[in-house]
Amino acid sequence: MVSFVEPLRALWRRVTAWDLLPTPGPEGSLRDGPVERPWRYYWDHLPKRTAGADFSARDYQQARQRAEEVARATLGDELWQQLMMDGHLDVPSHRYTGVTYRLRVGHRIEVVTAAGARSPWPYAYLCINPTYPLPELEFFAQLYLYARDREDTLVRVAAPQPWDQRLGRTF
Amino acid sequence: MGRIIVANRRGHQLVEWDADTDTEEAREGIVEAERILREARDKGCAVSKKVGGQHVLDDGGFDPYAEEYQIIAPIAGG
Repeated sequence: MVSFVEPLRALWRRVTAWDLLPTPGPEGSLRDGPVERPWRYYWDHLPKRTAGADFSARDYQQARQRAEEVARATLGDELWQQLMMDGHLDVPSHRYTGVTYRLRVGHRIEVVTAAGARSPWPYAYLCINPTYPLPELEFFAQLYLYARDREDTLVRVAAPQPWDQRLGRTF
Repeated sequence: MGRIIVANRRGHQLVEWDADTDTEEAREGIVEAERILREARDKGCAVSKKVGGQHVLDDGGFDPYAEEYQIIAPIAGG
């Protein structure tokens, strides 16, 4: 029996080492060493707004603290203060006249239209998630960069929705 | 000293390199930084570069004298 099982185990180790099969995120991240590279793995199996079963309450707390630091650095002091005061940031569309993307932390984008302007979407909210789990503030800053610098990408992937809701891939 | 902010579920983690020191270790640091950016882009991530104190999404090649890069997650609808 042992002589039969061991070659199978060896084959399995080689298959997984070659990355022939998709690797789930939390397990794959353990291979990465000190810096996790989440783009290498799939994360769709995780429950909404979680980062993996290996994440402790302290991990969540530390991740959110680091996220605030980097979000603040990414946005700069002026935008950060504006976000703290207003609870959102508005990014005017360069593609659709009179349309503004209202970004809120951890929520869908609200499409705001000026008087007389027409939204290209049938609904007022756009659902856009990162493809791997991120703290809400970290993703907020990233979404701001997409809205400001890569509107075409944002428009291409956006899923219009009739109501607001928290994002599923952030925590 | 340059650095890449790798945004991940940990909040973020840093990869640093030193373009001003001519040692084997420093050269390896630059090669590794460039490799990480290339790999992330190949997997659909965007990359931002700090320019004039502000992060801007960037498609250019790796600049070892850049102050800061950030790896931006790919986005999907729904």
